[in-house]
This record gives sequence, structure tokens and C-alpha cells, in this order.
Amino acid sequence: MSEVEKLKIEDALLEKGVYIGPTVGVSMLPMLKNRRDTIVVRPKTEKLKRLDVALYKRGDAYILHRVLAPTDTGYIIRGDNCYSDENVPEEAVIGVLTEFFRKGKHIFCTDEKYVAYANKRLKTYKTRRFFVLIKYKIRRFCAKIFRFFFPRKQK
Amino acid sequence: MQIKKGFVLREVGGETVVVPVGKMSKEFHGMINLNSTGAFLWRFYTEEHSVEDGVNALCAEYDVEEEKACADVERFVEILTRNGFAE
Repeated sequence: MSEVEKLKIEDALLEKGVYIGPTVGVSMLPMLKNRRDTIVVRPKTEKLKRLDVALYKRGDAYILHRVLAPTDTGYIIRGDNCYSDENVPEEAVIGVLTEFFRKGKHIFCTDEKYVAYANKRLKTYKTRRFFVLIKYKIRRFCAKIFRFFFPRKQK
Repeated sequence: MQIKKGFVLREVGGETVVVPVGKMSKEFHGMINLNSTGAFLWRFYTEEHSVEDGVNALCAEYDVEEEKACADVERFVEILTRNGFAE
């Protein structure tokens, strides 16, 4: 074993030119599953493009979301499993996803199948959003019915 | 000795890195870079083996003297134990 290091992500990108680590969170489902898959992030060397997956900082949190469109000052970004866009300034973006391991399979972000997936994910956004809204409305309606028959006890 | 569950080996750009997964990723935040010997021993110790077994396996895999292999395995085991990777 050559080394065991507890480097911050920025330090790993700066010193080693790559960060390899686990995924945390559900915002990039179904592509990346929480604490199962592995991401390979490299420093940003040029302006990111549509479909690139950017690693950026919001406060102390690291976030890995997809670029919808580059802007003059940064990017419009959204997670594959999210339903709201975010304006991220250029300086907040510290890296870009270049490869990942999904269920142990090594996938490069240049792979044709991956690019097709990313395109499809963006194209089906409105449909997915519609069904998610319907799902929430049904859930709220069911909760109201439940509360009607089983009201909370007053203290 | 055996390496705890919750780690996976990943080969990226010719380098071997160990990445925590599942609950282990909550406990360990970092990158473990392995050289070729380290990667071999990591794979070997994913199952229960003694230090002697590791030395024999290393000698069988690489053209290395027993004394050197013993020092390498002992150092590997020491790093694993110190970082809480072994059980």
C-alpha cells in the first residue's frame, strides 16, 4: 500500500488531478445510487458544456449535478432526479465528472450509450415532472382522506 | 486477519484506488492509493489469512526475497490495523 490519505476533494483535485470517491445523495438517480457507486472527477480545464456533470460547492457542501446550459457567468444546473434549476457561478464549479462506476461497471462520460442516456434524461424532464406532480397531488389527497377518517387527537 | 467489508477496488487511469461504499463511506472519507503489491495484498486479505500466508502468496506472485516480502506484508498489515480497515 502506498498511502492512505484523507484529502479534501479540492486538495485531491489540485494535488493528484483526480478525485475518486463514493456518491452521496439521491439527486443523480437513476445514474448514481447513494453510497453504492463511485465517481471519478477531474479538475475543470475549460468551460463546461451541456450534459457535462459538474462538481460544485454550495457553502461547505459538494454537489454533483448536470449542466443544462452554460451562461455568461456560469451554468444552469439540475440533478437528474431534481425538479428545479439552479444558477451556479463559474467559480463555484471545481471539477467535472469524467468516469463513474455504476453497479461495478466502469462507464466513461464519452461513451455513446451514456451520452444517449443523458440526452434522454433531459428530453423527458417535462413528462417526468408532470407525473411527479400528479403523484404528489394523489399522495396529498390520500393523506387528507386518511386525516378525515382518522383525525389527530387534540392535546 | 481480514479486510473489513465496505470497500471496493477501482482501477482508474492505471492507478488502483480503494473506495469506501455503504456504511463504510460514512466512517472513512479519503482516497486509498495502492501500488501493485498493495493491490495484490488488498485482494488477498479480503479473505481471512495470516501474515505468513500473505508472505507466501507475495513470494509466489512476485520474484521477491522472503525477508523483503515479510517487511512489505507487515507494513501493509500495520497500515490496515492503524486505520481500522482490518478485523
